[in-house]
Amino acid sequence: MAQSRRSFLRQTGCALGATAILSSIEKLGMIGALAQQSSNPDNVAADYKALVCIFLFGGNDGNNMIVPLDSEFNAYTSVRGVLALPQSSLVPINPISGRQFGMHPNLSPEVANAAQSKGLLDVWNQQKLAVLCNVGTLVQPVTRAQYQSGAGHPYQLFSHSDQQTQQQSSISNGPAQTGWGGRISDITGGLNGTVPLPMSVSVAGSNLFATGKNTRLLAISPAPTALNSVLVLTTSGGASADQTARRNTLQQLLGFDTSSFLVKASSDTMAQALQTSASLATDPTVGTFPATSLGNQLKQVAKLIKLRDALGMKRQIFFCSMSSFDTHTNQTGSNPTSPASGGTNSGNQGSLLAQLSQAMKAFYDEMVLQGISNQVTTFTLSDFSRTFAPSGSAVGTVGSDHAWGNHSLIMGGSVRGGTFYGTFPTLALGGPDDTDTRGRWIPTTSVDQYAATLATWYGLAASDLPTVFPYLGRFASSNLGFLG
Amino acid sequence: MRKSLSPRSFTSLQRLLSVCALLFFCGAFSLVEAAGGPTILSDASSTRAIAFEAVTYRREPFPLTMPVQFSADTRNRIVLFAMNLDLLAGEGANALTADAEDSTHRHYTFTVENVTPFPGYEWMSQVTLRLSDDIGDVGDVLLRINLHGMSSNRVRVGIGHTGGGPSDDAGAVTTPAPFPAPQPTPVPTPNPYTNPAFATTNDSVRFLEQATWGPTFSDLAHVRSIGYSAYLSEQFNAPVTNYPTQDLYPTDSTVGCPSGTAPANCTRDRYSMYPLQISFFQRALTGQDQLRQRVSFALHKILVVSGRDLNNMPSWVGPYLQTLDRDAFGNFRQILEDVTLNPGMGNYLDMLGNTRVNPNENYAREIMQLFSVGVDQLNPDGTPKLDAQGNRIPTYDQTTITNFARVFTGWVLAPQKKWPVDGTTNVLNYQDPMVLSSNTNTYDTASKTLLNGVVAPAIVTGQNATVYKTNELKIALDNIFNHPNVGPYISRELIKQLVTSNPSPAYVQRVAATFNDNGQGVRGDMKAVIAAILIDPEARGDAKTDPNYGRLREPVQLVTNMLRTFNASSDGNISNTGTRFGLLLDMDQDLFNPPTVFSYFPADYSVPGTNSLFGPEFGILSTSDAFRRANFVNALLLANNGNGFPVAIPDRPTGTQLNYSSYQALAGNPQQLVDSLDAAMMHGTTSPSMKASIVQAVTNIASSNAALRTQTAIYLIATSSQYQVER
Repeated sequence: MAQSRRSFLRQTGCALGATAILSSIEKLGMIGALAQQSSNPDNVAADYKALVCIFLFGGNDGNNMIVPLDSEFNAYTSVRGVLALPQSSLVPINPISGRQFGMHPNLSPEVANAAQSKGLLDVWNQQKLAVLCNVGTLVQPVTRAQYQSGAGHPYQLFSHSDQQTQQQSSISNGPAQTGWGGRISDITGGLNGTVPLPMSVSVAGSNLFATGKNTRLLAISPAPTALNSVLVLTTSGGASADQTARRNTLQQLLGFDTSSFLVKASSDTMAQALQTSASLATDPTVGTFPATSLGNQLKQVAKLIKLRDALGMKRQIFFCSMSSFDTHTNQTGSNPTSPASGGTNSGNQGSLLAQLSQAMKAFYDEMVLQGISNQVTTFTLSDFSRTFAPSGSAVGTVGSDHAWGNHSLIMGGSVRGGTFYGTFPTLALGGPDDTDTRGRWIPTTSVDQYAATLATWYGLAASDLPTVFPYLGRFASSNLGFLG
Repeated sequence: MRKSLSPRSFTSLQRLLSVCALLFFCGAFSLVEAAGGPTILSDASSTRAIAFEAVTYRREPFPLTMPVQFSADTRNRIVLFAMNLDLLAGEGANALTADAEDSTHRHYTFTVENVTPFPGYEWMSQVTLRLSDDIGDVGDVLLRINLHGMSSNRVRVGIGHTGGGPSDDAGAVTTPAPFPAPQPTPVPTPNPYTNPAFATTNDSVRFLEQATWGPTFSDLAHVRSIGYSAYLSEQFNAPVTNYPTQDLYPTDSTVGCPSGTAPANCTRDRYSMYPLQISFFQRALTGQDQLRQRVSFALHKILVVSGRDLNNMPSWVGPYLQTLDRDAFGNFRQILEDVTLNPGMGNYLDMLGNTRVNPNENYAREIMQLFSVGVDQLNPDGTPKLDAQGNRIPTYDQTTITNFARVFTGWVLAPQKKWPVDGTTNVLNYQDPMVLSSNTNTYDTASKTLLNGVVAPAIVTGQNATVYKTNELKIALDNIFNHPNVGPYISRELIKQLVTSNPSPAYVQRVAATFNDNGQGVRGDMKAVIAAILIDPEARGDAKTDPNYGRLREPVQLVTNMLRTFNASSDGNISNTGTRFGLLLDMDQDLFNPPTVFSYFPADYSVPGTNSLFGPEFGILSTSDAFRRANFVNALLLANNGNGFPVAIPDRPTGTQLNYSSYQALAGNPQQLVDSLDAAMMHGTTSPSMKASIVQAVTNIASSNAALRTQTAIYLIATSSQYQVER
């Protein structure tokens, strides 16, 4: 029977319509598999451990977070000009490794101003806080000469979006679809056994860091929203039976039309919300946290950690963040050391560091109170550091531009703290660590090494390191030793 | 020759449409005629594809690597045969995507490397696919190709070995080559969607979702009567309903709103985005310049300024939004210039006050990375150019940025104004474009090397410095504007904002070609670009079956779509409690306060659980947000006894109420109710299973409660992912 092209097409079109629908029903059973990891009961961990990532979006200026107080201080003031912090304001910390440094006064505001909530000096003195120096995105170890000849450049160095991605993915040569926190979860999911929450939880929205190939993160609101209010589906109108029926139909619709990848992604998110909401039915009490953005995020994390036994969680990775570190202007303000010095206008970075340190300290205290400070490690990441040379010249407009290698903070009972890791850069424009002449330090430690050290402590087997960190082998050490 | 909608088939379609109109028998039939998917040929007796290895012509199973090595890339390629590939003139492999599903329901993206009519059998094309790097020896997969938003049938192919694999799609049929062979359709035709007849179908709902803040009854009737092209012309000529021009207020809110003497709601109206947010929703609901508003908002998300960094002052942000409104249908070069000199932008990205000493790099970087060329050199279809090693090639480097930073020096605010207007307090001028400082020492007047090595010369002795800097800025903006990346980059970003998150490169290329030349030799003509985006075959059609197609409605769009579809009366405040715009904030889109210059959500956000599909709006769909979108719909429809958002003085003078009485009149017949909502909200694409579920849910409610039946049906559609993702 002869068949015209168009009638052939019509037949196929009709058949396809029915096809798409039925195949979606077939896949209905897949939705439940998303939130939880499948598990081998033999592998379930006996102890509890958590990693808490604090991402400082915008590029935190490490050059003003940790300042040399020895012979290099003069070089610091002469280059930084109005960005330089007064020597007397810096909080001296003398790392075991020698040399003398000072923290930004707002990393411990109580030192200068007893009315301020405590920052991190106590934790440093207890040797539970470490600084990792000049760490950054690297595709390979690189020298200034190599860099200037065009070798060893990470993809889109100095670009916010790309460097945020690389810090979170530990893949520095291009775009990435998974984060290293998510990839750790992919592999270590079995340590949790069968539990009601995914291993990765964000209190700062969706992010790449905690997204794995198979790990879909749970992203919930921070405090002050109570933990038992972060996932509430409000149903109004009609009798209670009507509301239940409506909710059931809403759930049923999630199983249809999943042949569209975007429809499925949206439905998976809703399915996860429905699955998880029942397990977050209480709002545990924790200690006092600052009523700041990060304070509220860490408070929510502390609540989730307090529920660890009730939920059966053995391993958790949390993501928090702060924004506005992109201090192109007004980085220091008219009174750079406030609130430590009692003033108000500390500029953009100063107030952020006060928020960071006070929230971290409150979180550390809460972990001690919960008796698990040795099992929770908190660490910072940021897009990049900022140029050592300032940008702008007029008062109030001076800030700094995008740079590269940066200092990170690592805090927790298992941290071998009170000292520095990595190599502190030579603070010289056009010097051996500079990419050019504005003070963009070439990292001497890679994000891969930093992350692998954290992952190893968390429980990732050495044999799995190359899977999670495919370029780790290019660097000398896969364990920087800052965790015991 | 490539097959396409031929003049012959198009004429027959027109005939069919007119007959349909007479007989009240329309829709699906004409649809399939206009935009069916391709068909991959299979065996006569099964769904196994007719497929060969590209080089050896061996049949399946296909090894993962090529048996003969021709290049460093040894991944195997296979050839399929397809018909009904209605390629447009100029389209090739970059119009097609392909994906495969294995027995574990894992999906793989195969690259389409070549498509070409088969010599002697031009009704059929051979399609060459590269196996993805992440596929292993998985056995049978179901494979499909997609074109213009339409998917093909799925055929079975053995990868590594044959056997296993997912079961056939239910209802799948064999698709052997037809005999006798059909006549090839000889000439690629122009895009058929310029014909007004196409606007009479369900596609008109989709069109208005893309071109407006949501389809209303009256707009639907109008576009159906005049067609898309005429509608676009009308919109291009509609007068602007602009944001209100506010007086400039003092920077210090205690001066602008002195305690004791300030007018009521002073802080709300002078030091928060509230008046702009209200104006936005009021204009979105009733303004006639819908397309301008959509494009202007899209531009806001590409060339970003955020109120949170402008002292939260609407009088500082308003002029920026007015600029985008004014320029939306102009030339992109003008947009670049007006945005560059806008004082709000000057403040936001630090060009304002930038000086010769240590010039700030912020604006120099972001105008290139985000506003114009992007970080990678692009092919004309928007895909990244690759070097010999397969790496992307940067568009510019740090040196280029440093040079542009030196261009952007010397600009300051225009002379201060007075507050009140005839008063004595000096206020900063965020209304007029920035001007060059009277202090010429702030100017960098040395030469600069711009994109592609173009040099902006140094000042010459005796030249007026202000004239020099004015001219230098023009040179620099021309340099950016004329970079070949701008067409594909801006076209793709606008398509993502208006139509679909993952446009085919061929679609991007068509729009970019229009950006490069509107047909009259003009580059950057926004009207032409917008028309090219909205009339493209990949945008148009009653139903899109490509699994990659669509975009998640962003929260503000979810709001406006719901309000316009259901003819709402509203004061524009999207709240049901005391909090200003609380429901919108809950959904994580703080209007005019995007968190960073990367907007409310990152343009390159990759959706978890997919094969790297872009889904920018998924960047603000956290687990909590999934419920909060549903809770917004609940608040609008079901809370407050079904009366919408209650009145609360001063922020909600009238509240917000939907009007769904015409649907409620159908509540006695649940099937009819759901069918009519399907047409209005889902442009007739609600799947039978989804429809059956909703009809059942409605039927279970007592027929005496017509309101609850209607509310339930609307709620279930509006909260569904099938609706949340606009397709």
